[in-house]
Amino acid sequence: MAKLPTPQELVANRPAFPAEAWLETKPKFVPGSYCYPAKKETMEALHMPHPHEWDPAADDWQLPENWEKILCDAFEDRLKKHRSLKLFMDICVRCGACADKCQFFLGTNDPKNMPVLRAELLRSLYRRDYSMLGKILGKKIGARSWDYQTVKELFFYAYQCTECRRCSLFCPYGIDTAEITAIVRELLHEVGLGLHWIMDPVKNCSYTGNHLGIKPHSYVEIVEMLADDCEDIVGVRPKTPFNERGHEILFICPSGDVFADPGIYTFMGYLILFNELDLDYTLSTYASEGGNFGSFVSFNMAKKLNAKMYEEAQRLGCKWILGGECGHMWRVINQYMDTYNGPTPSNMTTPVSPYTGTVFKNAASTKMVHIAEFEADLIRHNKLKLDPSRNDDLICTWHDSCNPARGMGLLDEPRYVLKHVVNHFYEMPENTIREQTFCCGAGSGLNTEEIMELRMRSGMPRGNALRYVQQKYGVNRMACCCAIDRATLPPLADYWAPGVTISGLTELVANALVCKGEHKRTVNLRQEDLPHLDEEEPEGNEGE
Amino acid sequence: MQSTEFFFGVRDMVLEEWVNAIFNTYPFQTTGFLRTSKDPFANPVADMTREAASTVYEAVSGWDKKPSEVRQAIDRFIHLRAVQDFLPSQAMLVFYLLKPILRKHVMPAMQKAGKLKDYLDAESRLDTIVLLGFDMYTKSREVVAQNRINEIKNQHAQLVRWAQRVGGAPQLDEGQS
Ligand code: SF4
Ligand code: SF4
Repeated sequence: MAKLPTPQELVANRPAFPAEAWLETKPKFVPGSYCYPAKKETMEALHMPHPHEWDPAADDWQLPENWEKILCDAFEDRLKKHRSLKLFMDICVRCGACADKCQFFLGTNDPKNMPVLRAELLRSLYRRDYSMLGKILGKKIGARSWDYQTVKELFFYAYQCTECRRCSLFCPYGIDTAEITAIVRELLHEVGLGLHWIMDPVKNCSYTGNHLGIKPHSYVEIVEMLADDCEDIVGVRPKTPFNERGHEILFICPSGDVFADPGIYTFMGYLILFNELDLDYTLSTYASEGGNFGSFVSFNMAKKLNAKMYEEAQRLGCKWILGGECGHMWRVINQYMDTYNGPTPSNMTTPVSPYTGTVFKNAASTKMVHIAEFEADLIRHNKLKLDPSRNDDLICTWHDSCNPARGMGLLDEPRYVLKHVVNHFYEMPENTIREQTFCCGAGSGLNTEEIMELRMRSGMPRGNALRYVQQKYGVNRMACCCAIDRATLPPLADYWAPGVTISGLTELVANALVCKGEHKRTVNLRQEDLPHLDEEEPEGNEGE
Repeated sequence: MQSTEFFFGVRDMVLEEWVNAIFNTYPFQTTGFLRTSKDPFANPVADMTREAASTVYEAVSGWDKKPSEVRQAIDRFIHLRAVQDFLPSQAMLVFYLLKPILRKHVMPAMQKAGKLKDYLDAESRLDTIVLLGFDMYTKSREVVAQNRINEIKNQHAQLVRWAQRVGGAPQLDEGQS
């Protein structure tokens, strides 16, 4: 009689992973665990090295013949260029403090997703070539040479890191694994390995200014359409100034806010707020993208895509730039922009709020102010008339998006704003917010649908904390100030905490904002009925 | 002695063995971490596993548990297994890992006390729970598939709406714009 396996036998094929041979265990490229490769034409159009067709699941990745030399040389070059990289290669003491801090490790339970081992993949190569012991003892001290499998492994794990930097918060030496991941991605690009989901937006940005490659006239028309919606809801049509010279402020936001649900409600919020303030600003069809997928490719690509911000501020003669609710855009601005594209054009000056006189000294060098800072300052000076009860159907929590929160320390401003525009607010558990926030699990260009399954496990720690406040306090809305989050959190919430919806901050501000000349507001920006509609009108809220 | 008492006398021991058997379905290096930290947010996998295991154990033992309570307790755990790198059989078989442990620690005593039928009833309850879990597993997979579709739609939502406005694309049904 044929013998059926027992449950124990069915599970017995779990990967054997003996400590001493971890370098030998290779990743399996099964659908759902890797992203689609960039198209050859895209890479050609961007003049990337060695454009070629390839399939991550295939044995042969069609690397150039001298790929080993290319990679060794590129690695050496990066080590010379970035002293931080050399330092990170040398100083890790493998204390393990970072090991269990990564959401990819927590969700996949794959040891190579421990930040220390993720970095070790590159370090093992470094050891062979740059340490005396490595040259002599090789594998015994965890050194190894480049081989085809190594390249595949680097690819696999460099795209299972969202560059969120949670691990670096816990490292006693401040080793930034995100930066190591960024360099690994750069190296892989030298032999023509990149992702479709990243390179396509990069190409579109290079040619038309925004991720989807929407041409200027269509971009304007879509914004007009959203302004029409605002008029239906508020009763006042907001202005939509485009490419106008001589305004004080240039406004730049992620294009996801213009094209994608639910980001558009945040964009409508910007329009309504600026109109109410009669802000002296313009939008631009050239700088029509705050997001910068170049920052997921290489430092040079990030620099190139970011340049349009200052170029446009100069062309239009704007004094400073107000930036919308994007995540990685602020990482680039806060950490790299000065070096990439600075100094600022001579027409630009340190931002000063035209309503409160507040000088944003923190933005003295970049001349860019985050909308949450701008709004918090307005509210602090009582410049906005707000009726938070219009958001009474919402029980909110706040997701700290990695880049604004950990990357630039924007922790209290959005909370301050949120607490003034909603009446019900609850924090998620302490070790999942603020600096310790858990990533959405799909940042840094991993927000693509083919790895939805992977995203559901890497986003699990965030989903788990959300579910906790949903059950404890009835939270039904998670707000955040990142466009990638507004795209990635809805499926995550659907999976881990169904019933919770996602929005930006400014959407909630505009819901609560009492505008001059508005008609009786009956719906919110999503065109859903406002709460308390059937109750007595609170006095004096109307049309002043 | 009531049947449930046979189960409760060895509860902690059985649960510990079972939970460890579940942790052992993960790579070796991970198992230690899963065992040590108890914080529900710093170590969510262990927390979900323990939550599921203890309720399932109580239900199997014959405590009064509604299907909704069991579902609630295994919900996170099933959602997790459904998106981890497992075959469907591997994702679900962790429940059956309880059986040999029960047969070792509970069955002999019950058999001796002439309560073998009660013991077999308990095992059948486990079978029912696995079926409940299988429904949830399937649902989870469907949500993942549906989310892929939703996401593609959402990304271009306004573009599609705009295209319809300018007449370049077929109109969707009324009210679906
Ligand atoms: S915490 Fe820092 S030093 Fe410790 S293992 Fe991680 S990277 Fe290395
Ligand atoms: S940067 Fe984030 S995703 Fe990358 S290893 Fe560190 S914690 Fe994990």
